[in-house]
Amino acid sequence: MEGKKNNKRTAAKRRSEMSYHLMVFPGLFFLILFSYIPMVGVIMAFQDFVPAKGLFGSEFVGLKHFIYMFQLPDIGKIIRNTVVIALGKMIFGMVLAIAFAILLNEIRIKFMKKTVQTIVYLPHFLSWVVLASVVTNIFGLDGSVNQFFTAIGIDKINFLGSSKVFPGLIIGTDVWKEFGYNSVVYLAAITSIDPGLHEAATMDGASWWKRVWNVTIPGMLPIILLMTAMNLTSILSAGFDQIYNLYSPIVYETGDVLDTYVYRIGLVGRQYSFGAAVGLCRSIVGMVLLLSANALTKKLTDQKIF
Amino acid sequence: MRKGFLTKVTGVAVAVSLLLMGTACSSQDTSSDATGEREAIHVSVGRQTLQNVTFPDGDNYEDNAYVRMTEKELNIDITDEFEANGEDYDRQVSLALSAGDIPDMMKIGSLDTLKELYENDLIADLTQVYEEYASDYLKSLYDSYDGRALANVTLDGKMMALPGTNGDNGPSIAWIRRDWLEQIGLDIDEDQDGCIKIEDLETVAKEFMSKNPANADNVVGIAFAPWLTSGDPDGTFSMNSIAYALGAFPKTWMEKDGKVIYGSTTEEMKQALSVVSGWFREGILDPQVGTRTWDDITALLANGQCGIAFGTWHIPGWLLSNVYALNDQATFEPYVVEDANGMINCKHNDATGGYIVVKKEFSNPELAIQIANLFYDTLVNDTSLLDKYPEVKDYVTNGVDGSSRPFNIEINSYTSLLDDYTEMMKGINNELELEEVSVLETRTNIPAIQRYLEGDVDADNWSRYHCRLKGVGLIQSVTENNKFAWVTPIFPKTTTTMETNWANLEKLEEEAFIRIVTGDIDVESGFEQFVTDWNAQGGAQIIKEISEQLQ
Repeated sequence: MEGKKNNKRTAAKRRSEMSYHLMVFPGLFFLILFSYIPMVGVIMAFQDFVPAKGLFGSEFVGLKHFIYMFQLPDIGKIIRNTVVIALGKMIFGMVLAIAFAILLNEIRIKFMKKTVQTIVYLPHFLSWVVLASVVTNIFGLDGSVNQFFTAIGIDKINFLGSSKVFPGLIIGTDVWKEFGYNSVVYLAAITSIDPGLHEAATMDGASWWKRVWNVTIPGMLPIILLMTAMNLTSILSAGFDQIYNLYSPIVYETGDVLDTYVYRIGLVGRQYSFGAAVGLCRSIVGMVLLLSANALTKKLTDQKIF
Repeated sequence: MRKGFLTKVTGVAVAVSLLLMGTACSSQDTSSDATGEREAIHVSVGRQTLQNVTFPDGDNYEDNAYVRMTEKELNIDITDEFEANGEDYDRQVSLALSAGDIPDMMKIGSLDTLKELYENDLIADLTQVYEEYASDYLKSLYDSYDGRALANVTLDGKMMALPGTNGDNGPSIAWIRRDWLEQIGLDIDEDQDGCIKIEDLETVAKEFMSKNPANADNVVGIAFAPWLTSGDPDGTFSMNSIAYALGAFPKTWMEKDGKVIYGSTTEEMKQALSVVSGWFREGILDPQVGTRTWDDITALLANGQCGIAFGTWHIPGWLLSNVYALNDQATFEPYVVEDANGMINCKHNDATGGYIVVKKEFSNPELAIQIANLFYDTLVNDTSLLDKYPEVKDYVTNGVDGSSRPFNIEINSYTSLLDDYTEMMKGINNELELEEVSVLETRTNIPAIQRYLEGDVDADNWSRYHCRLKGVGLIQSVTENNKFAWVTPIFPKTTTTMETNWANLEKLEEEAFIRIVTGDIDVESGFEQFVTDWNAQGGAQIIKEISEQLQ
């Protein structure tokens, strides 16, 4: 009796869950189509790939392209640029997004809150192709920033043509573009903190700062760690669209990153195998970082990402 | 907008559509031969276009008078598989190549691409159809290059492309605003021979900046494109004029004292960079050099912020025309820059530039030759064709850009540029009847220039006057005065080290030069470091490989 009843329940449960499985299906389909099937192309990295001969007809050359990659005189510089820009974007982006989320949460007028949120959200939806010309117009030598500098008697700065300032410009504009959107996650994390904790802290006489530090931030910590781990995987991609639309030979020194380099050498120069080799290396680094971040999170907070 | 994301998106879209359309296209081909009543053969083409080309209403690259004439004459049906401007086009070709599916016929820009298409077995051998179908006149045009034109496209003894010819176009010319020179009363060329010194350029730039004849904001003395130097002697917006005048031939392989050298790494090149970086310090050179794109420089000229433009003899026709469009009072005077001995240094071009390839599976490869016959022989030599197609005649008279023809290449005899000029001058001086003029374009150039000289300054007359009478006229007069010092470069085949290291060496050069010019690194030590790096990173090896080729 008991067992039969149980069976019935599972069958019913299964039926009702069926719709959820169906909903997963399109996503899964695209995941397989666009993420798993192309993995076959990894073979290319070990070949001298000739399109006409195809993936299975091209000659295998072992690690030739990987060796070549690490022998490239510029590779150190390019990896350094990539990591500096990607880390800069990650750190400043997160700090700003978290701070913004905490501040936004303090606003009590709902209308204000929504308006501010929407305004800082918007840039996320603009393509870098469009924003690049906005950035060029604002930060160019004749742009508004430099006109302001001239007006108050400071020397002009060629933001787009100085290898010292360029990474800062890239990081700054990216943080500006994305912080609003990134804060959504943190805002959600804040709302999920039990208000009782805040009330208790207030009762105990904790100031606003103390409450942020001892209640809000610890409450957000799992999410912060999760986001850090996720972002770490992309440490070797510093944003192709943005840099490609803003850089020039003058700033290659500090602005040329893996993506742009591979694009110029690999695709335009038609060295597909080399491009695939770099891509593969990057994926491996991303995976290693993700796994270590996961292990670290578990050790520190006893929570796992997966 | 700028290069970038859009290009990528369209590129991917094209690659996908290529895959989808490939089958559809080839199934429409009929293989019945050109005996009378056959069905129209469908030909898909890849076309390199130009920005801002003015077509008559309703016409465009895919459907215009030239295309319609071709379709009717050869009973074919042409559709464009892809169209793109300049460098974007080369990317489209790259994508088509990686997809392994190319249009029936397309233009490609370089011999490297040709080699790659050949190795991928994507293109047809044209040896036989060329022999059989090419007209005697067409063959004679190629033969005027002493076999060099066809040798370039011959791989393993097979003719793999129809090459565009590339006669000598002369050096990069400094086009200076004549109306401004007159307005501020500056005469830099007292003997009127069109040759000026580097210092004269400085004077003009300084005067233009201080007097600011157009009352523009943010005036710029001299502007260069970010790549600074060009492998073509006449590279537009390049500093080639200055380099050549100092005896430097950037991006050029040549032999000196029995040794192969690369022009960008010579002592002379350092001097040229030193001059230009001096201009940067003095503020004569655009302070935004390096970030100022091609379009930005065109805008500087059009807005009257800058009055000096470097480029080939025909830039008034398609680039400086933008200046005329905003200010019909603008006129330009061409000058060449002379070296310390008063000579004009220049180098010969490779015999070919731009190539038409035919897809291997295409059923009627002879059509490519027939299209070439039609445009580079019949249309030039047979006036009855124009009577048959009045709209084509309008195209010729109104100067609709030649890129609107199905093949965007030129096939001319080696000496055509100056031959045409001599004939044109006879026509302008009424020593030759218009009907007797042998070259089609000259027949329209003559009346247009006569109209210009009589004061009828419309856009077309303006550009023909500047290109043909001024630009080519200058090359002619320098030639007549025996003031050209010609250098014959080496045109090496791509070597194995070039295949792997060249892209990186180009980057090294581009980066080093722009940083030297902008003062980011010191001229002396920076250039020395560049040469050391260049040799260490494969340059020395490439020189060795080229020397082996020559033996």
